[in-house]
Amino acid sequence: MSASTTVGQRSAAMTPVLTLSRIAFWVAVALAFALLPLVFSQSFALSMLSQMGIAIIFALSYNMLLGQTGLLSFGHAVYFGLGAFFCAHALNFIGAGKIWFPVTLVPLIGGVAGLVFGLLFGFVTTRRAGTPFAMISLGIAEMVAASALMFTTFFGGEGGIATNRAVGKPFLGISYGPQIQVYYLIAGWCLVSMIAMFALTRTPLGRMANAVRDNPERAKFVGYNPTRVRWLMMALASFFAGIGGGLAAINYEIVTAETLGLVASGNVVLMAFIGGVGHFWGPIIGAVLVTLLQSALSNYTQAWLLYFGLFFLVIIMFSPGGIANLIALHKPVWSAGLSKRLIPSYAIATLAGLPLLAGFFALIEMIYHFEAKETSSKAFSYFGLMLDPMQARYWIGIAVVFAIGIALVYGAKSLVGRAWENLTVELQRKGAV
Amino acid sequence: MATPALQLHEVRKSFGRTAIINGVNLSISPGERHAIIGPNGAGKSTLFNLISGRFGVSSGRIDLHGESIAGLEPEIINRKGLARSFQITNIFPRMSVYENVRCAVLWSQGYKYSFWHRVDALDAVRERSSEIVDRIGMTKRRDRLAGVLTYAEQRALEIGVTIAGGANVILLDEPTAGMSRSETDEAVELIRKVTEGRTLIMVEHDMSVVFNLADRISVLVYGEVIASGTPQEIRGNKAVQEAYLGTEQH
Repeated sequence: MSASTTVGQRSAAMTPVLTLSRIAFWVAVALAFALLPLVFSQSFALSMLSQMGIAIIFALSYNMLLGQTGLLSFGHAVYFGLGAFFCAHALNFIGAGKIWFPVTLVPLIGGVAGLVFGLLFGFVTTRRAGTPFAMISLGIAEMVAASALMFTTFFGGEGGIATNRAVGKPFLGISYGPQIQVYYLIAGWCLVSMIAMFALTRTPLGRMANAVRDNPERAKFVGYNPTRVRWLMMALASFFAGIGGGLAAINYEIVTAETLGLVASGNVVLMAFIGGVGHFWGPIIGAVLVTLLQSALSNYTQAWLLYFGLFFLVIIMFSPGGIANLIALHKPVWSAGLSKRLIPSYAIATLAGLPLLAGFFALIEMIYHFEAKETSSKAFSYFGLMLDPMQARYWIGIAVVFAIGIALVYGAKSLVGRAWENLTVELQRKGAV
Repeated sequence: MATPALQLHEVRKSFGRTAIINGVNLSISPGERHAIIGPNGAGKSTLFNLISGRFGVSSGRIDLHGESIAGLEPEIINRKGLARSFQITNIFPRMSVYENVRCAVLWSQGYKYSFWHRVDALDAVRERSSEIVDRIGMTKRRDRLAGVLTYAEQRALEIGVTIAGGANVILLDEPTAGMSRSETDEAVELIRKVTEGRTLIMVEHDMSVVFNLADRISVLVYGEVIASGTPQEIRGNKAVQEAYLGTEQH
């Protein structure tokens, strides 16, 4: 949402034709998607990559609302989840031989379901922007989540709807039984959705969504109805969310009420914010990182939700524009060839951060294990070190490390600040800023 | 006689029990440059807000080329060919100059809510936008973010956004407010140039601008038009001198 967003967009005004570099970029993305499973071939990695693909579609579709139209929705999982339920039922119908439909295109059913409900609910929610919109979206999310537990025929109650993705006749050996085939299905849909959503930002509607976000009143006086712009953007965002949901149904082969619940809706807000809502590719970073953290952290510590929450806090406090903005901030430095200037202070800051993080994590784990119910010993292994929360010396030691960390980071912060000050002066002289 | 470009008949507006506009009658011919003057609080901006659809009228008729527009939404009135600027600069600050203008061009070129056209590939839109940017003298600034322009540049952009849709009735609300003498002179030339062949209605405090630009002037005092006529007639009007000019012209 920073100035640099628009700086990025303005170059588009100069290039009326589809540039070769953009085509090359998408080809590179396609290649990366194709090659990733060869590098990360373990089944754990493969299922994580599949999750990431789904999360990317979902997070990007969310940013059509938040980043592009300025609509803070707390209920975007509704459209993801409804798409997933419709796809689960579609797969079951295909399996029962009641309808014929290629499994490859089943996510489209999810998309259409998302679109229809986006049009329906959006008609109500988009009459207002700002806080009223956020509150109404929350209300609708609550309503749909409640319905999911009431209408058990469609939503399957607590157990959800189980399905089987390997229902179609195998085509060229593709049965969608093995995870690798599902990965490529997700990767394909992810690529198509990414390109479509990117292209959408460059259409009259996409541009007017930005206009409505920044100044809805002015948009009226140039002939546009802001409500209509919001409504269409909401419907299209819901369409892509539904595609993501459809892929989730295929991937997990089960859809429960949680899929469209408030936690899922909150999760996508976190992804978008962590990645950065001011840039098209911000939510992609967020989706990848959040998926990674959620699967990886939960393997190492039971306190992972706490770490995840803290991570979010740190990002929002120190870089409200998310990671994308942090990267964009370095772009002029990089183009001016001055990146070298930042390396020393960044290296020192990283080193200074280590004791802080180590001390902090140790403290959290100590508290966590102190609270734990084990009777014999509460000692635990922390990066190969045995820590015992029942002995005071460990607490003191960790507190000392933590305190040293704080002091070091405080010092490093001013070092980084000074490096940036010098750079800014230099950049201004070069006319890069 | 030709249909007036804009005609107001007994237009009234009250906020609660406070009457701001008390039965305004105005008739503005096509191609005319009409200035509305009056002391602070006379209701000039409110009148503009009524004409442009920002507020609904309490009673009365507003006709644009003989068609009633009172009570319509601003975007509908805009599509019928009436555009306005604002007293407080009202642009898209996080977009470039070019993009600001383009937003105002899109609807009139028929692209509406399209999400199947590549906006950069629309030749007619690009030509029209570039032409407007050129006409407001901002070709060198076209990729600047609107939010970082100087005040005078923002005012020029405001006029550019207002005329870009090709409306034939233009409402300018204090286009030179807060400008230096030389900036004002430039703004007057710009307004004269871009409203050529269109109907212009403007609210303006600067009397030199008014007498320089306007074909006709209406004087609004306490929500009523107390006089309407050519600059000479207004200068010579006793009531106007008492109510307004006498106190401000030194």
